[in-house]
Amino acid sequence: MNKKNSKKGKEKIRLIAIVIISLLVIATGALFSLKSFMKGEIAGGVTGIIIAILILGFAIFVFIRGNRDMKEGYPLRDERSKRVMEKATSMAFYVSLYLLLVIGFLSDSIIKFRDISQATGIAVGGMALLFLLFWIYYNKKEI
Amino acid sequence: MKTRIKELRARYNLTQEDLAKKVGVRRETIVFLEKGKYNPSLQLAHDVAKALKTKIDELFIFEK
Repeated sequence: MNKKNSKKGKEKIRLIAIVIISLLVIATGALFSLKSFMKGEIAGGVTGIIIAILILGFAIFVFIRGNRDMKEGYPLRDERSKRVMEKATSMAFYVSLYLLLVIGFLSDSIIKFRDISQATGIAVGGMALLFLLFWIYYNKKEI
Repeated sequence: MKTRIKELRARYNLTQEDLAKKVGVRRETIVFLEKGKYNPSLQLAHDVAKALKTKIDELFIFEK
């Protein structure tokens, strides 16, 4: 019984940590957008807002689902969800290497970034988006 | 991979939710297992087989 309670407590902490990290990412995205808007860069600002909204949607989905599952007595994570997470993370990492290469290559010619923070912001946002897409894909696929 | 989880679950009058709680996994995992769309760990295969009072090799049928 104690082991079960301790596991439930750990899962609650994990759920809260996910929400806090998501909120921090959203706040950073909002600041990034605000900075872009203040400098008159509408495209950069809108991109930041879109990414922040996507992350917010994902965080709300994870929180609602996790909370409901915990109340119903299901674990927040099990071996399949861990495997999905691992696959999504590794694929997002590999693909984001190409994304970083493309950003690096194009930054000298086609795309003119305001500064290094804008390029980094787009790279990080892209990585988050890639992770989200791979997570959805592997969650539906046979693994 | 084919499984007899659905058949045995029905025999023991267990819902997917009941089985999931019994073996300590999420309900989706049982759904994917039943469809043969998830290769479980040996531990989970053992737990599911035990919950359905059968043996692993009678529960999971591997096709070449």
